[in-house]
Amino acid sequence: MTDQAAEDARPADAVGRALLQTTRALAVVGGLICGLLALMVTVSVSGRYLFSAPIRGDYDLLAIFTGVAIFTFLPYCQMVRGNVIVDFFTSNMAPSKKAVLDAFGTLLYLIIAIVFTWRLYHGMLQLRDSGEVIASYDFYRWWTVPFNLLCMIVLILAILYTLVRDIAVARQRIRLAEGGPEKG
Amino acid sequence: MSDLAIGAIGFGVLIVLIAIRVPIGVSMLAVGTVGYMSIAGTSSLLSYLKTEMYWRFTTSDLSVIPLFLMMGHFAARAGITTALFRAAAAWIGHFRGGLAMAAVGGCAAFGTVSGSSLATAAMMGQVALPELRRYKYSGALATGALAAGGTLGILIPPSIVLIIYAILVEGNIVHLFQAGFLPGVLATMGYIAAIAIVSRINPQAGPARPRADRAERWASLRDVWSVLLIFLVVMGGIYSGIFTPTEGAGVGAVATFLVAVIYGGMRLKGLLDALIETASTSGLIFLILLGADVFNAFLGFSRLPMWTAEQFQHAGLSPFVVLLGMIALYLVLGCLMDSLSMILITIPIFWPIIAALDFGLSPDELKIWFGIITLSVVEIGLITPPVGLNVFVINSLAKDVPMAETFRGVVPFLMSDAVRVSLIVAFPVVSLILPRLINA
Repeated sequence: MTDQAAEDARPADAVGRALLQTTRALAVVGGLICGLLALMVTVSVSGRYLFSAPIRGDYDLLAIFTGVAIFTFLPYCQMVRGNVIVDFFTSNMAPSKKAVLDAFGTLLYLIIAIVFTWRLYHGMLQLRDSGEVIASYDFYRWWTVPFNLLCMIVLILAILYTLVRDIAVARQRIRLAEGGPEKG
Repeated sequence: MSDLAIGAIGFGVLIVLIAIRVPIGVSMLAVGTVGYMSIAGTSSLLSYLKTEMYWRFTTSDLSVIPLFLMMGHFAARAGITTALFRAAAAWIGHFRGGLAMAAVGGCAAFGTVSGSSLATAAMMGQVALPELRRYKYSGALATGALAAGGTLGILIPPSIVLIIYAILVEGNIVHLFQAGFLPGVLATMGYIAAIAIVSRINPQAGPARPRADRAERWASLRDVWSVLLIFLVVMGGIYSGIFTPTEGAGVGAVATFLVAVIYGGMRLKGLLDALIETASTSGLIFLILLGADVFNAFLGFSRLPMWTAEQFQHAGLSPFVVLLGMIALYLVLGCLMDSLSMILITIPIFWPIIAALDFGLSPDELKIWFGIITLSVVEIGLITPPVGLNVFVINSLAKDVPMAETFRGVVPFLMSDAVRVSLIVAFPVVSLILPRLINA
C-alpha cells in the first residue's frame, strides 16, 4: 500500500475516521505481535545454538500468535481497500459504474465475513469443549479465539462502512478519488 | 450435474467475478463455499468452516510470510538501498551504461534481503533515478532498468511467491530457495548484458560517468557490510540448513530492525509505518490464501484437477508442449493479474498435470524445476503492459518520462528474460545444481 493510496481512501466522516483509527490500532497490535514473535524466534535460535536451550514450544507459540496477528490485519486491509482486485477489464469505466461493481464485491465479502464469524464462534465452542491445549503449555487453544472474533466483528463493521460508501458513490452522491490499488 | 461440471462452472464463475473487480480473495471464498456446498452438502460445509479460518491462519508454516514481509519493510528503512547503489556505482559506474548496471546490481543485492518486487523497484528507484537523470541517461533506459531490476527482489530468494508455491505443492522451501539463487544471478547478468548492448547501440542512452578513484571505491564498501552480514546470516543459515526459513525470517526481521534504527534513522513513526505495511501486505496475502484454501478444497471435491491431469496424460502430448502452453498462459495472465493470485489459482490445476508427465526428473526435482520456471515467468508480468506494476511504480517516480517510453525501455529486458527462461526450461540443471550440491 502506497501512502498516496492510503491517503485517497481516507474517510472524511466521523464514523469512517473512528473505524480507520480502530482498524489501524488493531493492525499495529498485530504488527507488534509479529515483531515480538521475530524476537522470540531469534532468542530461541540463539539459545538452541549457544546453550542447546531453545524456548519451549516456540513453534506452537509462533503458530498461535501469528494466527492472532493475521486476524487483526483484515479490518485495516478492508478500510484502506488494500485487497487485490483486477482492474484490467474495467479500467475505462465511469467511477459510478465501478462503484456498482465494487458494492457487489463488498456485499459478497460482507456475507462471507458474517458466515465465517458465525462458524468461528461455533468453532470456538468446539475447541473449548475438546479442551485442546497447545503442546508444552497449559494454554487452551480456544483462549485466543474470542479476540479473533472481536477482530472479525470489527471487520464486518469495516466492510459495512465501505459498502455504504460504495453505494453512495454508485448513486453519485459523492465523488471519490480512485481507490482500490492493486498489488503484485 | 456431475461434480466435474460443477468444478468447471465454479472455475468459470471465479474468472468472471475476478474480471468484474471483486477482490480475488473474496471471489475464491464465494465460489469455494458455494461450490463446496453444492458437492458436499450444507452440513459438511458448515462443519468445515467452523475451524477453517482458525487453522489457515494458525499454522507455523505460514508464519514465515509476515516475518519475511516485516524483514523487507524494515530493510526498506535501513538506508541500505542508498549504500548499495553508491557502492555499485563506484565500481562499475564508469562503464557505458554503468549507472544503470549499478542500479540493477543494487536491486539484486537488495533482493537478497527482500522478497518483494514492488518494494525493491520503489526503493532503488528513489535512490537511483535522480542519479541516472543527472548523468543524462535516457528516460527509457533508466526507468526500464529499474522496473526490470525490481523483479530481482522476488527472483532472488527470499521470495514470497516461492514460499506460497512450496506450500501449494508441499515442496521443500529450503530446496526451492537454493534452486532460485543461480537463476537469480543469471537474471542479474542478463539485465546487465541488456544494458551493455543498449548503450553500445545508442551511447547517448547510457553515458559513462567519471571513474571513481580507489579510495572512493573501498570507502563505498564500508556502508554495505550490514546487507552482506544480514544476507550471510539469514540466507546462509537457511541455505546451509542451520535454521529453517521461518527462523531465518525471524532473525532477519530483528537484524533489519536493528540496522534500520542504528543506521537508517528509523524512529517511532518509521516503526509504526513498517508495522502498518506489514499488516496490510500480510492481510491481503492471507485473505487470498484463505480464499485459495476454500476454493481448492472445493476443486478437490469436484475432482477437476485429477481429471484434467488424466486427460493430459492420455492425450499423448509431448511434456514440453504442455509446459510451453502453460508458460504462454502465464504470460497472458501476467498481463492481467498479480503473480501471487496467478499462482494460487493455477498451480492446483497445473501441478498435477506436470506431475503426471514424464520430464525425466524425480518428483522432488520436478517440483523444484517447475517452481523456478513458474516464478521466472510470472514475474515477467510485472513489466509487461498493460498492468506491469513495476513499470507503474517506477514511472510514477520519474515524472518527466512518459509511460510509453518506460514500456519501450523495458523491451531489451524482456528479451533478456526470454533468453533466461529458455535456458531454465532447456537446462533443468541450472536450477537443480545448487540443491544437488548442498544436499548431497
